[in-house]
Amino acid sequence: MKLTVENLSLRYGSRRVVEDVSFTVDSGEMVSIVGPNGSGKSTLLRGMSRLQKPSAGRVLLGETDIRDISARAVARTLAILPQSPDGGADLTVRELVFRGRFPHQGILQRIGPADIEAVHWAMDAADVDGLADRPIGSLSGGERQRAWIALALAQQPKVLLLDEPTSFLDIAHQVEVMHLLRRLNREGMTVVSVLHDLVLAGRFSDRVIAVSRGRVEFDGPPAEVLEPVGLERVFGVAMMVMPDPETGLPIPLPRPDPELCPGARRPQA
Amino acid sequence: MAGMAASTSTSEGALAERALPRSARPAAIVAAGFLALVVVGALTLKLGSVSLGWDEVFKGLTTDSDPLARNIVWQIRFPRLLDGMLIGAALAVSGALLQGVTRNPLADPTILGVTAAAGLASAIVIVANPQVPQWGIAMACMAGGICGAAILYVVAYRGDVSPVRLALAGVALSALFGAAIVGLLSSSRTFLQTSLGFLAGGLYGSEWRDLRAMLPYLVPGFLGAVLVSGRLNVLALGDDVAAGLGVMTDRTRLAILAVVGILTAAAVATAGLVSFVGLVCPHLARYTVGGDNRVLIPVSALYGALLVSSADLIAKLLISPSELPMGIITAGVGAPFLLYLVRFRG
Repeated sequence: MKLTVENLSLRYGSRRVVEDVSFTVDSGEMVSIVGPNGSGKSTLLRGMSRLQKPSAGRVLLGETDIRDISARAVARTLAILPQSPDGGADLTVRELVFRGRFPHQGILQRIGPADIEAVHWAMDAADVDGLADRPIGSLSGGERQRAWIALALAQQPKVLLLDEPTSFLDIAHQVEVMHLLRRLNREGMTVVSVLHDLVLAGRFSDRVIAVSRGRVEFDGPPAEVLEPVGLERVFGVAMMVMPDPETGLPIPLPRPDPELCPGARRPQA
Repeated sequence: MAGMAASTSTSEGALAERALPRSARPAAIVAAGFLALVVVGALTLKLGSVSLGWDEVFKGLTTDSDPLARNIVWQIRFPRLLDGMLIGAALAVSGALLQGVTRNPLADPTILGVTAAAGLASAIVIVANPQVPQWGIAMACMAGGICGAAILYVVAYRGDVSPVRLALAGVALSALFGAAIVGLLSSSRTFLQTSLGFLAGGLYGSEWRDLRAMLPYLVPGFLGAVLVSGRLNVLALGDDVAAGLGVMTDRTRLAILAVVGILTAAAVATAGLVSFVGLVCPHLARYTVGGDNRVLIPVSALYGALLVSSADLIAKLLISPSELPMGIITAGVGAPFLLYLVRFRG
């Protein structure tokens, strides 16, 4: 399902965090939002999901303004996974994932066949069915992140928003989570992630949107927009971009200062 | 891959059964709890300053044939037993709701000042008009309890309500209202005896009219608790996750505080300041049936009923024919339990 952000502005009190941002995420797209700390990208994600009320502008889920439908109705189509959620440590993975059925259940939250099927699918998709009876608190970082993703999947969303799903994970787990998101995306899910890691953004996105000081700085396919000048403008640090020798995909890196890097070859003057 | 294959082949029914792995135990625990409640209830009807035979208890409960037994069992002991059970259930459910909503294991209506707010309101009307009828006290408690919960919410609200602010504000308000109660009661000497019973919490002299005064609040209160329990489950995952799942977080918290205010106030109106029931029972329930509030809340109610009715029985028997305020017994059980939590569970 398509998600349209129209002239969206978001504030915390009087502080303007997101200013007049517009873009459209097409159905089945996988989009990464990048930007420096405090640039407003997490807030933007909250605004896109009804977690935060816009001070101006609107967000359309399909053709409907998300403010015109209930939070529960939004949650049946759009799932958001906040950055490193910390609740539910004493629940088992299965109990946690079942709570993702909340927006689909009636007032007494009786578990029906549709709930069981959805939870089954979500745990299978996120590859946590082997962990079903383990408490969340006992899982490794990567396992825990997959369990939380399974909770979001149990909502059976058409649009999945994730805030830094790979933070605090080691390289193997980062790749694992990104592969999972890509697989879901291949099956038709629209995926929007806030990412810190530009290499992952370059490798796994159809499109990269860069946010700086609450505004969109650039927006396009990674091969086009991940280039040194734009990245330097966004992150305020000298950048270089190398092509991945195997795939040709862009690998953005900060330019090293040879003075501060032991063993660095001095560049020829 | 092996795990995935095994799980995929599991039948849907078996998966449902395993959906809530602890759900096999509540049946046995609830049965045991009810059995214990029946035993305590029977002993409460039999024992006291006048000890009755079982036949007299039965006769007093069911017929008018023995006026003395009828009076003791039906007019004094039975309503007091019911009052105790309901008060215990109300306080335990309040505690379970507060622990869930603050995500803080040390929360209960006493610690967060809701009990004291209800107590202060009832102390005010009792001092102002000693002849105030029971329903008047109940209404004052209700107003006080809801105001206490509302003040707690307003003080803790700053754009949103964080569990930590809720807990800190509650502790401060509790101290403030508690001081006001003691100040008010000690300035009106004539009520010293009554005041002591009120402050310590007890069921001395509670009867049918107390039950009638409480029911209009308890019924919607318990119903509300059952209805919010599913939301509370989701709220426990953190505000952003809950909001993402479609829970109106602040509105839900407000509803929960209102339910807590109503239930606590009903209990305070009849029994005064009974402490620690709301703290201990939800913990015992969590320990025995797990953290799913849809199970935890009713089981807490059962434990609350059991704790208060047992405490009242002990309070009656310990220095018979005189009696201790029941709240001393619940505090005697509850305070060490709190110390245990602080020391060993952080």
